[in-house]
Amino acid sequence: MPFTDQIIRYGSLSVVGLGKNTGKTECLRYVMDRLYQRQKVVAVTSIGIDGEGVDRVTATPKPEIFLEKGMFFTTVASYYSKKRFRAEICEVLPNETVLGKMITARALERGKMILAGPADTLLLQNWVHQMPQEYPIDVCLVDGAISRLSPASPAVTESMILAVGAAYSLNMRTLAEKTRFVFDTVHLPLADISLRKKLENITRGIRGISAGGEITDPGVESALLPAGVRDVMDKCENRIYVPGAVSNALLKTLAERKEVERTELYIRDFSRIFAEPRVFYSFLRKGGRMFQLFKTRLLAVCVNPVSPEGYRLNSEELVDVIQKEVGVPVYDIKKMEG
Amino acid sequence: MNLARFSERIEGLKYLVDKMELTGSRVRRYLMRMPFSSDRDLLEGHFDILQKACEILSDQKVKPVLMQLEHLFSKIHDIQGTLTALKEKRILDEVELFEIKHFSIICADAAALCLQAGFVHENLYPLQEAFNMLDPDHTGTVSFYIYDSYSKSLAEARKQVASIDPGRDAGTWDRLQDIIQKEELAVREKLSLKLAVMYRALQENFDRIAWIEIWFAKARLALMYNMVRPETVPYDRPGVLSVVEMVNPAIADTLENAGEKFQPVSVTLNSEPCLLTGANMSGKTVVLKTLALIQALTQFSFFVPAQKASIPLVKDVFLVIGDKQDQYRGLSSFAAEMLDLDRIMANMAVGTKMLILADEPARTTNPAEGAAILCAFVEYLEKNGVMSLISTHYGDLGLSCRKLRVAGFQGSNVKGRLDPLRINRYMNYSLIEDKGGSVPLEALNIARLLGVDESFIDTAKKYLK
Repeated sequence: MPFTDQIIRYGSLSVVGLGKNTGKTECLRYVMDRLYQRQKVVAVTSIGIDGEGVDRVTATPKPEIFLEKGMFFTTVASYYSKKRFRAEICEVLPNETVLGKMITARALERGKMILAGPADTLLLQNWVHQMPQEYPIDVCLVDGAISRLSPASPAVTESMILAVGAAYSLNMRTLAEKTRFVFDTVHLPLADISLRKKLENITRGIRGISAGGEITDPGVESALLPAGVRDVMDKCENRIYVPGAVSNALLKTLAERKEVERTELYIRDFSRIFAEPRVFYSFLRKGGRMFQLFKTRLLAVCVNPVSPEGYRLNSEELVDVIQKEVGVPVYDIKKMEG
Repeated sequence: MNLARFSERIEGLKYLVDKMELTGSRVRRYLMRMPFSSDRDLLEGHFDILQKACEILSDQKVKPVLMQLEHLFSKIHDIQGTLTALKEKRILDEVELFEIKHFSIICADAAALCLQAGFVHENLYPLQEAFNMLDPDHTGTVSFYIYDSYSKSLAEARKQVASIDPGRDAGTWDRLQDIIQKEELAVREKLSLKLAVMYRALQENFDRIAWIEIWFAKARLALMYNMVRPETVPYDRPGVLSVVEMVNPAIADTLENAGEKFQPVSVTLNSEPCLLTGANMSGKTVVLKTLALIQALTQFSFFVPAQKASIPLVKDVFLVIGDKQDQYRGLSSFAAEMLDLDRIMANMAVGTKMLILADEPARTTNPAEGAAILCAFVEYLEKNGVMSLISTHYGDLGLSCRKLRVAGFQGSNVKGRLDPLRINRYMNYSLIEDKGGSVPLEALNIARLLGVDESFIDTAKKYLK
């Protein structure tokens, strides 16, 4: 498959599923196999909460991942101790998680492992940056999550693959529209470099950006209430930065402004958008603009036409329908494996 | 009483603690648990270490060594849980064994770096034996697993299981996995038992390595604020507290941000009460807070922000700033203050050697009773020979005790409205011995300079007798 080269070039990849059982794990497995065949050293972790997410709370097992000899992986110690293959511990990570100590280890032989790694964006970002510096690693892989449950953003990796499956919906249209939505949010333009530098360390509250690029703090904590947003917009000359969740309420309020065409919304990355597609598009249609501070490259969409209940969508048709909506290659995960 | 408790009581102490560059909660835990000490030998010993650390920090030649040491500190993890497991002779898991191995290597590096830097305190035990135990193949690497060389039967079972496909022969695979589990457990048990013998050395090193970091952080703080080593006067001997040119770091920093300078103040106290008078905004409270801070810093083995300091050691420091309301316990500021005074009185009754710094006690009630309470308090302090400084606005109390007065306001050259942050330009904060009993009447003058409505001030003047 062509995107293996791209993954190697970018050095880090997250595989993100549209929902549970969408083929994310198969997709990750496929990528790991390919990289192993190309004799690339891989480090892999997971940001835990995704569709099957309750695992952080109830500690129910997530799907296991096959690790090849020589692969590095980061997971919590309690999962590590259940392994049935030889691996050497290389490091205990300084931050303890709710599930206990987190460790980085290297597989000394092939084996299965449950992964649960850094649970917030900053830790994940550190992981992606540090691993290649400390170990001879070619590619960092993140078993991603796209859900409001995950505090960690997959946008910290240089590239991304989106897994879409019949498990999310058996309606091809719905699947195609949702994929298109994610595609569009990932491709929101990057903010100007000078603004990115000024804003990247601000992770809470709301900020205004003046015409001259000055950052002002209107002293409002949350962008969830329309009144607060209107208040801020009055003070902030049409440009605001919202590092937290981008909700329906926020986008609706902005779309209802008289000056919507001059309104610019700056967000951290696509994963912070929790608004519904129709609200998102409505804001853009009316002339509002959105920019992100961190942008990842979507390399491909992988579809899984089989739902866990056994329904099977027509593979070629599904690939076709989705391909029409997005400007990146679309593959059938089942065919890729075979 | 430890530093955590004291930093709640003495203003400015927490400010300095927060200025210290520590690598994390592990080290901060050691610092905050440090006891308030009146043991002179202990404190002098600590000051020797601190002085050495200051000298090392000032030596440009060892800077690279110190940077390496700092980097090393940041790599130390909180393995107290693992050490406790070792103490209780529990069987360590693989991660815990790795932690011990990792820590042993760090200790060896830290010991070498300390030696290179010339820091010979808090010596670390060599943990080579522990490391060797966890590196049976002598590879010298920090990574760890239950190596084949620990057990022949483990190596054998692992070899066998590698050739079996669990999908085809699940029974054999499971049986071999069980053997591997059992063997690994046996190896961990053996290692844990051997390591348990070294528990003391490991724990000592874990404590000491935190202290090394604390000494250097304290030394860095001392250099940052031009602090000096205080001279201590033994606890059981009467002495004179004398501080030359003391500075309050928190306030000095605030002033500096506003482009102003803190005017250092000198003060001496004997084993008796001393009254402190002065106009509003003349820095009486700052004197009290800074003295409390300096006393506390000394007895927590810090250097102090002054040119010179001689500090008689005490058992406790009381800083009574009458604005402490305790609504959670239903206490008004007056009630909270009275209970504070009562606690002091109880301590006096049992002869506790203390330093008392009280800011306008009984100011929140009527002047007649307030003055009476103040006089009674001073009488008690006098009778018990308690070193204390008490600020007040009450004049003509008829007390014979020593009095200090803030030289005060030189406001004749003020033009227009006065910015509270700029008042220090017109204020002489030095303390002078005061023989008389009256207090300066400058409240209305200062209110006027602050820009308070003129007609209001004129109205107030009508009521002045």
